[in-house]
Amino acid sequence: MIKYIVVGLLVFIVYITFAGSLSTYTVMTGLLVSTVLSIMSAKYLVVDEKKLFDLKRLLYAVYYFVKYMTIIEIKAHMDVVKRIINMDIDPGIVKVPVNVKSRYARLLVMGSITNTPGTVVVDEKNNYFYVNWIKVTTFEPVEARRIISEEFEYYAYKIFE
Amino acid sequence: MIEAVLFWIGAFLFILGGVFDLLAAIGMIRFPNFYVRLHAATIGAIYGAVLPLIGISLMALGIPELPGRYAVAGASFITAIILLVVAPVGSHVLAYAAHKSKSVPWSPVVDALEKDEEK
Repeated sequence: MIKYIVVGLLVFIVYITFAGSLSTYTVMTGLLVSTVLSIMSAKYLVVDEKKLFDLKRLLYAVYYFVKYMTIIEIKAHMDVVKRIINMDIDPGIVKVPVNVKSRYARLLVMGSITNTPGTVVVDEKNNYFYVNWIKVTTFEPVEARRIISEEFEYYAYKIFE
Repeated sequence: MIEAVLFWIGAFLFILGGVFDLLAAIGMIRFPNFYVRLHAATIGAIYGAVLPLIGISLMALGIPELPGRYAVAGASFITAIILLVVAPVGSHVLAYAAHKSKSVPWSPVVDALEKDEEK
């Protein structure tokens, strides 16, 4: 039951933020839309209800979002911008082991890797990501994981597992 | 006072987004093949689109006389978050399809995926 309320509340907040108004009409439509969507999708979206009440996970998610958008992205962007200017590229596809298990955590790691310029996840097989890397500095999977995805996995583990 | 600060931070992010878009476009032209150009496209998608959208949202909050400013701000912010979630899926699917169909000739330093598929 709780997962339906939480998903509905999230949809409602997104709807109201997107509409940018608190008129009766918007609130009523928002309530209707969020109720229908939460009934339809909550059972697929939420696997473990207990995790919804863990405030630490939410704080980690907010901290990770801010850190990702500022520090991590600036570093990666400046690196690729430098390569655009000096054309110092050695592209290739390396194997990166992935240790997190849940689907959400894997999606977060995959999204984080792909959203950082310089690395794109091409495929996933047997607990390995195959990452297209603009400047391959190592062929060793463990070493590549340390450079590419160790930090993302740390936060994915804290948020979703 | 706070509105002026929001407006100028937003304007800064907006202009920064334009600069990164320009750099991404130069990268698209200079890089040799599809797989490397994907990285330039990522620059255009994250700092070239998500950042200016957040900038627009802050700018809209900073202009009190703008009609419907909360709608502009809210819609921009939600769009930025959704873009952040769906953009990597698009990049991944493009790379996956290009690699599976072998339609892009390139000379990588190492191609672990092809090696593993041959096994």
